[in-house]
Amino acid sequence: MIGGLFIYNHKGEVLISRVYRDDIGRNAVDAFRVNVIHARQQVRSPVNNIARTSFFHVKRSNIWLAAVTKQNVNAAMVFEFLYKMCDVMTAYFGKISEENIKNNFVLIYELLDEILDFGYPQNSETGALKTFITQQGIKSQVYTKEEQSQITSQVTGQIGWRREGIKYRRNELFLDVLESVNLLMSPQGQVLSAHVSGRVVMKSYLSGMPECKFGMNDKIVIDKQGKGATTDDSGKSVPCRSGKQSIAIDDCTFHQCVRLSKFDSERSISFIPPDGEYELMRYRTTKDIILPFRVIPLVREVGRTKLEVKVVIKSNFKPSLLAQKIEVHIPTPLNTSGVQVICMKGKAKYKASENAIVWKIKRMAGMKESQISAEIELLPTNDKKKWARPPISMNFEVPFAPSGLKVRYLKVFEPKLNYSDHDVIKWVRYIGRSGIYETRC
Amino acid sequence: MPYFGSEETVKELKRALSNPNVQADRLRYKNYITRVIRYMTQGLDVSSLFMDMVKASATVDIVQKKLVYLYMCTYASDKPDLALLAINTLRKDCADPNPMVRGLALRNMCNFRMPGITEYIEQPIVAGLRDKASYVRRVAVMGCAKMHSLQPNIEIDASIVNELYALLRDPDPVVVVNCLRALEEILKDEGGVVINKPIAHHLLNRMKDLDSWGQSEVLTFLLRYRPRSDDELFDILSLLDAFLQSAHAHVAVATLRLFLHLATAHPAVQADALQHTSGALLTMCGSISRELRFAGLCHVQQVMRSQPGLFAPHYKRFFCAYSEPSYIKFRKMEILVELVNDENVTLVLEELRSYCTDVSPELAQAAIAAIGRIARTYSEKCLDILTGLLALKQEHITSAVIQTFRDLVWFCPQSTAAVCQTVEACVDCPQDSEAKQALLWLLGEHGEQISSAPYVLEVYIDGLKTELSSSVKMELLTAAVKMFLCRPAETQDMLGRLLHHCIEEESDMCVRDRALLYHRLLQQGVEQTRKVVMGPKSDPSMSVLTGHQQEPVSQWVSNFNTLGPLSAPDLCIQTPLISSPEQPSNNAEEELLPVSKDVSPSIPKDDQEELNLYLGPPLSHESFERTWLDLEVLHRETLSYTRPRTTPDTLQAALQLVKIQTLAFTPGDTLPWKAYLYTRGNRTLILAELLQEDPDSEGRLVVSVKQQPPNQHALRGFVSILSSVLQTLNVDS
Repeated sequence: MIGGLFIYNHKGEVLISRVYRDDIGRNAVDAFRVNVIHARQQVRSPVNNIARTSFFHVKRSNIWLAAVTKQNVNAAMVFEFLYKMCDVMTAYFGKISEENIKNNFVLIYELLDEILDFGYPQNSETGALKTFITQQGIKSQVYTKEEQSQITSQVTGQIGWRREGIKYRRNELFLDVLESVNLLMSPQGQVLSAHVSGRVVMKSYLSGMPECKFGMNDKIVIDKQGKGATTDDSGKSVPCRSGKQSIAIDDCTFHQCVRLSKFDSERSISFIPPDGEYELMRYRTTKDIILPFRVIPLVREVGRTKLEVKVVIKSNFKPSLLAQKIEVHIPTPLNTSGVQVICMKGKAKYKASENAIVWKIKRMAGMKESQISAEIELLPTNDKKKWARPPISMNFEVPFAPSGLKVRYLKVFEPKLNYSDHDVIKWVRYIGRSGIYETRC
Repeated sequence: MPYFGSEETVKELKRALSNPNVQADRLRYKNYITRVIRYMTQGLDVSSLFMDMVKASATVDIVQKKLVYLYMCTYASDKPDLALLAINTLRKDCADPNPMVRGLALRNMCNFRMPGITEYIEQPIVAGLRDKASYVRRVAVMGCAKMHSLQPNIEIDASIVNELYALLRDPDPVVVVNCLRALEEILKDEGGVVINKPIAHHLLNRMKDLDSWGQSEVLTFLLRYRPRSDDELFDILSLLDAFLQSAHAHVAVATLRLFLHLATAHPAVQADALQHTSGALLTMCGSISRELRFAGLCHVQQVMRSQPGLFAPHYKRFFCAYSEPSYIKFRKMEILVELVNDENVTLVLEELRSYCTDVSPELAQAAIAAIGRIARTYSEKCLDILTGLLALKQEHITSAVIQTFRDLVWFCPQSTAAVCQTVEACVDCPQDSEAKQALLWLLGEHGEQISSAPYVLEVYIDGLKTELSSSVKMELLTAAVKMFLCRPAETQDMLGRLLHHCIEEESDMCVRDRALLYHRLLQQGVEQTRKVVMGPKSDPSMSVLTGHQQEPVSQWVSNFNTLGPLSAPDLCIQTPLISSPEQPSNNAEEELLPVSKDVSPSIPKDDQEELNLYLGPPLSHESFERTWLDLEVLHRETLSYTRPRTTPDTLQAALQLVKIQTLAFTPGDTLPWKAYLYTRGNRTLILAELLQEDPDSEGRLVVSVKQQPPNQHALRGFVSILSSVLQTLNVDS
């Protein structure tokens, strides 16, 4: 259980403080500030023990969220709770920043009141919370009988994540496959480690209690059905790459609405979806990952005061697709005095504050190549320490799934209301982003 | 922080809140209330506004109500008499037709921390428990726990407890979990909520309806339940199987813990569950948020204690990325060291090598120490790397490498020749005292293999006046004496100078005494000195003790999925290095944040707590004898092997490593051989006698244990620790 929750800005000023249990004194707020936020060293652990009280913290941009407890709690749970808290706040007012928190100060206190009681998590689904949080300050008399019964049915219903009697004029479904691809590559171009962690996020606006069935090119399913069976798709999903037919999923987990027994026996994913946005599944793959970019670094030290860097990036996907928001960070030594950059595409700039050359390209098509060369002037130092050469890191966004995952179908059945699978408008989108994408040089 | 002029601010707010014009304008009024809360958050004392805030609670605006309640909950304990004024409004709200208002009022009423409130809240809580809206029931159930925590000494109301047990069957899942939480707190002194067969089965069936927090907590509560038969056990396990794959890492790990706990008698099931969850744990280690990644790594370390090979194929997942925080990198390195095998050793070493040049000296030293650990099995490859690092001529790297060499030579003597060659070539003298000591030890111990050793020593002896650290001086004395014993001609002169300086001019008494000791020893003759000073050059048996063996699952499972694994004391990698004077701030910080050492304070309520042996204050021979005679033998066991054939020192050191103190033992090979040991743990004192009557034949080693006060759990733990130590020592000798 959680004894208290504090939110600080980067200076250590308290923005929100809520204490749930007596064993957390008022000085706990200050203890964390003094010992962790204002500590001179780097953070040594996300869990800190100060005077027999454990402080769990996470940082979002420059905001610190800290949960405090005196009990021997389950650490993973507390962290997940803090993430959930961040998610809920983001769902209400967008990015977690000092300004947003100050502006939504009352709302956050309201949320904290509902989410935790006596330190125990109560209700953390954004959809369900919206019933209890009244930002406009509705008068109690205004509540109609109908709304009242809604509250009751929602929290007593058999299916905790969906209430009855939802109606939409247009039945729509949005399916996002969001992946983050992680890479660690040696200077010689050898893949040291690579994995994709992906999420399937769904926004459903469907009437009634629909039953959904979701299919993807999971290797186990495809192998079972035989190779010919893949062509019967109605073509709603937009597979964007040719190449391999199926992918091997190392590990996957589902939203609680998915019937796990069915997944274990038949490997089929069927569920009654919650209303609105939620995360249907999370997965991880490590085999046959399509690395959208190759980075080829070339660093040459010319004497003691000059360094020549040449970096080539190659895009490795279909020429018809466009990658966006490409950003390459090329680290420079600490004693850099001047940098001259020449690049064929995009803009490159030396940022002294980050000790790096930042090269930005807005768009880049597949199977292209681009290069940057830079001459770095160094100040002579008597420091014998060799420059450690941090890796070149990269950020990008591509419109396909680097794991190769494809949505094969998503069928909707609602036996009670008369709309069929064909009436539902479905949208599928693939976004691949860079996670930690590093190439050593 | 608005500490300055705070009185002005409070006065101004007071004026505004009592202004009838403001009160009439709802929006302005609420704005002022918000400001009060804002100041409260920032730590300003706004308790003097209590009266005005109570007035503001009489409103139909729910948001305003919530804010005022928040204020009142914070200050109610300071102003109990005024808070009573608000109770009436709250009690009225408890009868509101809107369940949300009812719940809100009840929750806040229970949050008032002041004496005497109980009589007002008891009736609404009882009514709330029977409310038809589940929202109110949830609040009421938590209210029971709050009421109890207000008056912890008062007798437990049996009717409420019964009502709570009945509510475990509530259709609303959160009410069910809240009931468990409330019962746990109310019945804390009686050992918490009772999980019998019907309740356990009911909870298991409701598992899938609960939210992830509830699942995680119910799984923890179920740890208390012991299935009657194997059939029931396997039914439960198959019901829970799906949760091993839960989307929420904490649920998956909690399930794993329950699996391991329930299947204590079925190691195959345990192994299977670990295999099954390894995927989930790996995902946790690769999760986007670094805190969860850290928690995942810590749990992987725990699992590796009994299944070291489980993650070996995935070793690449533990390579560090540059941007990761150092706490993750340290853990990853520790794991990598454990995962090394014949196939991946080259790649892992290459990886670790690249960390050695990291910007953070701490991390670089940890990486070097990690290579040193691997060197105990793959010495050749590692020595190449370590030698290569010396060529970088970076002070912190050189220092770490030399310390690693010293440990390596001690643990695996076959690498001595190579190390000596390297040290010979390493002309640059290290600057920090830790490294100096390591180098001096190497020179003294293996002086005959390092041809330039006396000359290096001479440099140190000449620079003695500028040396500040007394431990370096002591090491220098020992090294010089040892060197004199093997190469007298080259050393005699400088040893004389050294002893003279230390005896005549040294102000540090320890150093002076040491020098005098050696001086007198040398007067006894060279042979006598050799006998005293020269010991064994290495002790490979120690590596067995410090190295990690496969431990049974039960060793760590009781701590699994709690705070324990996250703050487990760091394994051998960084401990010796952290105290180096390059980071003087570390010690200071550790005092402030005793995270790595003291985990236990919050744990001990668990019966199944892990046995933590410690030495405590030394026991005198007399008091040992008295206690020994007073107590009965609680446990006697004949071990299947004889007494260890190692030197007494090794035996003593080995036992001390596991926190068992040797009080006395029969010297040499005389028979019957006896040893008396003692230790403390889990609030008991344990005394033990080891006895061997005949040489090697039938008469095996007999252990008799006495204990005060008796604690079966600790006793069993002690015997198993002791026998494993003795066994290891026997194997080595």
